Amino acid sequence: MISCTEFIAAYSEHFKFLEKKGGKKAVLDFWNFLSRKYLTSSLKRLVKKHGIRGCWLYWQKSLNEEAADFTMELDEKDGVFKIIMHHCPSKGRLMQWKHMRPYPEYCLHCDVLYRRILEPLGFTYEADLTATGKARCRLVVRKKP
Amino acid sequence: MSKKIMVRRAADNEYLHKDFHGAMNLALEYLRKRFGAGAVRDYLRQYARSFHAPLTARLRRRGLGVLEDYIKKTYAMEGAPVSVRRTQDELVFKTKYCPAVKHIRRLKLAVSPLFIETERTVYGAICENTPYRHELISYDKRTGRSIQRFSRKQ
Repeated sequence: MISCTEFIAAYSEHFKFLEKKGGKKAVLDFWNFLSRKYLTSSLKRLVKKHGIRGCWLYWQKSLNEEAADFTMELDEKDGVFKIIMHHCPSKGRLMQWKHMRPYPEYCLHCDVLYRRILEPLGFTYEADLTATGKARCRLVVRKKP
Repeated sequence: MSKKIMVRRAADNEYLHKDFHGAMNLALEYLRKRFGAGAVRDYLRQYARSFHAPLTARLRRRGLGVLEDYIKKTYAMEGAPVSVRRTQDELVFKTKYCPAVKHIRRLKLAVSPLFIETERTVYGAICENTPYRHELISYDKRTGRSIQRFSRKQ
């Protein structure tokens, strides 16, 4: 069994395997597939039902279960949802495992997966990935006027 | 219309996001459908050789007790029962179900027909270049219930 606590390593190796098979396009195709298959019944369903509060409901579960170090903010009146990731548990683990090399563009998968769900539902999606080398990032989702 | 803030430190929660089992299942299915069963096994071998390299090295140096510790710890984290019987040259472990398969079913996803390889290929790769070999003695695809054996190579 691959434990869910080992998944991040398996995920990173999956990206590396796909890139070897078919270049970056193969990785991107997989991320698009995963977004459609994995997030339709969770994030997409919640945002369709609850509007921007669906983001709060989705990430409240996943970030707590992933034991992330984060600040999350929701302002329903202004239609803004933010995540300030102080220490990403996934990237943090990949950096901690010195015996294996993570997929270099590992953090980009979040951007592809979530943007693909949220933008068609009428939101803008901004991700600041400039500090992913320190396992930090920021995400801002805004309802389009 | 509410305004909310949530602040969490890593130590506030246990690291256990079971939905990752669903993503793992989708990753295997994607490879199977796009590149075939061989690609699934190649990928899992690559993962095991890379991630489990320290476990393989300890197994080579210290023997089956290392695997016993690993298996007990892994199933305990997932909250699933496992029984392990070990002698100097053999380790047999039995599970009532695979917690990954159980969670995938809870998510109402079809379990990949190659999910069995997360046992067979992964443990096989962990044993490479060690004095031990792995056998999947029985496996129930519906529940992931299994009996598995590691033994010293003749």
